[in-house]
Amino acid sequence: MSKETFSQISPSEFFYRNRDLAGFSNPTRSLYTSVREFVENALDACDQKKILPDIHLSIKAVDAEQSDPKHYVLTVRDNGPGIDPKHVPHAFGTVLYGSKFGLKQARGMFGLGATMAILYGQITTNKPVTVRSSSDGKTSDEFVMLLDIQKNKPVILKHHVKEAAKTGLSVSIVLEGDYSKAGSKIRDYVSQTSLITPYATITFEDPSGEKFHYPRIVKDMPPPPTIIKPHPHGVDVETMRRMIVDTHYQIPPVDNKMIEKIRKELGQKKNVSAKEILERTQKKWADLSRPVRTVLAVMSFLNVDFEGLQKIRIDDIDVANKKITYWDFGESQTHSVDLDPESPYYKQLSNTVQGDTLVTFLTKRFQRVGPTTAEKFCEFAKFKPERRIGSMTNEELVKLADALQKFEDFLAPDPSCLAPLGEEPLSKGIMKFFNPEFASVLQRSASAYSGFPFIVEMGVAYGGDIPASGLKVYRFANRIPLLYDEGSDVVLKIVNEMDWSRYKIKGDPPLVIVSHICSTRIPYKTVGKENVADRPELERELKNAIQYLARKLAVHMSRQGAADMAKKRANLYAKYVPLISQFATELSGKKKEPNYKQLIKMGSELEEQIQ
Amino acid sequence: MKNKSNRQKTAEARKEKLLSVLQQHGINIYNDLDQGRFPQFVIPSRSVNNIVYDKKIRQYILGNARAVRSSRNMSQLRSYTQLAWLAFFVNRLVREGKSSTLRDIYYSSQAFSIDFEDQPESDNIIVDLEAVTSSPREEFHIFPEERSSVFGDLTIEYTVPGYEGKRVNLSDHPDGYLIGPSLSSAELVDTSAELVIAIEKGGLFTRFVEENVHKKFKSIIVDTAGQAPRSTRSLLRRLNQELGLPVVILADGDVYGEHIAMVIKSGSANAAHLRELTVPDAKWLGVWATDIEKYKLPTIPMTESDIKRIYDLQKDPRYQEGNWKKQLEVFLKLKRKAELEAFSKYGLTNITDKYLPAKLEESKSL
Repeated sequence: MSKETFSQISPSEFFYRNRDLAGFSNPTRSLYTSVREFVENALDACDQKKILPDIHLSIKAVDAEQSDPKHYVLTVRDNGPGIDPKHVPHAFGTVLYGSKFGLKQARGMFGLGATMAILYGQITTNKPVTVRSSSDGKTSDEFVMLLDIQKNKPVILKHHVKEAAKTGLSVSIVLEGDYSKAGSKIRDYVSQTSLITPYATITFEDPSGEKFHYPRIVKDMPPPPTIIKPHPHGVDVETMRRMIVDTHYQIPPVDNKMIEKIRKELGQKKNVSAKEILERTQKKWADLSRPVRTVLAVMSFLNVDFEGLQKIRIDDIDVANKKITYWDFGESQTHSVDLDPESPYYKQLSNTVQGDTLVTFLTKRFQRVGPTTAEKFCEFAKFKPERRIGSMTNEELVKLADALQKFEDFLAPDPSCLAPLGEEPLSKGIMKFFNPEFASVLQRSASAYSGFPFIVEMGVAYGGDIPASGLKVYRFANRIPLLYDEGSDVVLKIVNEMDWSRYKIKGDPPLVIVSHICSTRIPYKTVGKENVADRPELERELKNAIQYLARKLAVHMSRQGAADMAKKRANLYAKYVPLISQFATELSGKKKEPNYKQLIKMGSELEEQIQ
Repeated sequence: MKNKSNRQKTAEARKEKLLSVLQQHGINIYNDLDQGRFPQFVIPSRSVNNIVYDKKIRQYILGNARAVRSSRNMSQLRSYTQLAWLAFFVNRLVREGKSSTLRDIYYSSQAFSIDFEDQPESDNIIVDLEAVTSSPREEFHIFPEERSSVFGDLTIEYTVPGYEGKRVNLSDHPDGYLIGPSLSSAELVDTSAELVIAIEKGGLFTRFVEENVHKKFKSIIVDTAGQAPRSTRSLLRRLNQELGLPVVILADGDVYGEHIAMVIKSGSANAAHLRELTVPDAKWLGVWATDIEKYKLPTIPMTESDIKRIYDLQKDPRYQEGNWKKQLEVFLKLKRKAELEAFSKYGLTNITDKYLPAKLEESKSL
């Protein structure tokens, strides 16, 4: 046999080894990704606490004389709620420490990115991260930390407390980057973020000291998303298995505390035999709490007293096969005991362990499923409505998950977990950003793909300050600008499939399209999260949105065309009628020119004639 | 002398008629403007649908369809103004006895803020005015830039201002005389010729002069320089009608050569709005498709467009019978063509010594 060594690696080490996946493949991309992660965390933090964000980003070269790639100090400061000083070391010094695990729309996921950036900075420069946080607005805690990659633990180098004037968080890292290459993307990122976050003030100070300042355009924040239960279509077997596990009434841990509780409820002070306990139990049953009943039911089958109970560990209660398996510490051995279905305790135990009925499970644990729908589903899936989900075999679970996907009578997912920007802020953002001659925005109603709700918001802007250099698409997903991998994106596909000439758009139009997709799960094509895949449901929504807006644009174009035409017409008659008059006068042999003024006026006011 | 006074009289009458037509248009436009109406021109339609072949007068003519060009229509306003300007400008040319060319018209327009995009556009407006007034542009004193030549014993008398009464004989200058405005308006006084030979190419025209074809065949030689310009066709018609001279045509041995002869004989679709440009009795001497084999001429293969042109002409009513039809068929069968110069293979004078007399003899039976 070959000799292999298995060793566990920490999450930090895993990410260190796989940093390409998270967008840290080279100094250019890493600088850009780091900016993104910190800015998005800052915006998310403000959004959650309904604070109008005021974000300050700066990138400074450590040694300006050096050539790229070189070391940069990246600092992002916000006016958010800050982080309780207790949590700061873990939040920034541990990978996979975060609060973003609920099902709602947020910019980042899991809070991995910021720590990744810190990790990347430390790897490339061996410099610590500096975090300043004030959560009470009075004092500010400053931590200077390194990350212990192997142990996935923060190493605090310095910590001191200062006075503070307001809440907020500031993170500063030193990292290897290439601003000469990443600069244009970062500037695009900042400006486009300000477009899709018109309620935020964003300032960016670049390495040359130039400041890009984007003041907030609207004072109202869009309503924040709420955390909701999953939709049946959005659940796979594994997710469902986890849901079932925590829907169980777990076998309560049998410790001294529990034994105390049982004694108290039974009213027995002294140590008594198993038999005595069960007798007492039968008398007192109605007054006992559920966990106590469960433990006592187990004891009845094992026939043990409290002392005996302390020597074993219950491993499994398999109701389907009517067996209890336990580990005996004294004997260091596994035992199993048959359950007698005739015993009065059997029902108690099986109810506890088997969990809810299928109908209850469906209505309690999923969004928008009522009893009627649940019953209908059971019929569809060929399960009994009263079937206990804890008693299902693996195969049945797969069958159930499969049926959940296929059943078509579930209501559409609840979009309350989404936070679209809203038509008014989007419109204001577009007006301010592009200063166009025409703009129109649309928010489609919520739709869903595979159980994940999404909303498409779109805007078009035409003319004005927009250069006539052809159609440009600004893509956003969950209020994040998407800048890379444009070519393979579904939005671009939809835009390119449009026959623009049908909407009176020709040549290289001064035309901008802003597309914003909000979803609890954006169907990204790649882990880089820069291009959205083409799901049919999403495609349909995008198409409807763009066609609606294009029609609006076409109306504007023809109105504009009519106005241009009237002007052109007036110019033409003013130019040609006097000429005709001059020629006719000489040709007819007259001395004085005719009175042609009225004809110029008539010509200018004529409606377009159809030949 | 009787001819002369007649000619002058008709020319004078036509000039007066044209001027009065133009003035009437001027008055109509003037009154429309004065009374707040949009002036318009009614133009016989020159669209393909309105061009029909009139068997009686043996040429293409326009049908009855009329198009209105109105200043009320914004998209026509510009071309309406161009047409009004041209009427105005032609009025000046004719009144003052000045001549112009197609190209000159294009450039002159700029002085009056009339913007023609290119010369084809102004050429088109000239044709419009021809149709409106039913007069050829030569009467407007507008001539094409390219000119063909004439040589032979023909005495003419100028009528152009400054040369009135002056006479020249067209055999005085071996290069021939340009068929320009002065010659076109001149009186044809006297000739000893009994025949007019129209020839497609300048090179052979010179050869014919050198070879004394005008003496040998008692002929006037006309160089058509390819497709004959209208002033040349007009001269050929006058030589035929006024002096009673038969007209024969020599052109390249291909479908285009055949059509050059046809246009001299019965006009072109392009000039369907005009009369008196045709020589209905003109004869096409050659080079026929059948001559290519008969005279064993060196040939070159036809191009795609040559062949397409044959198919096009086969749809033309004038090619539906006789020799015209037969030659097209032979060309199509041969799929080869021969130039007039092909005769040089048998010596430089072969065409004048052998071919021409033979064909003239042959033509008598046509």
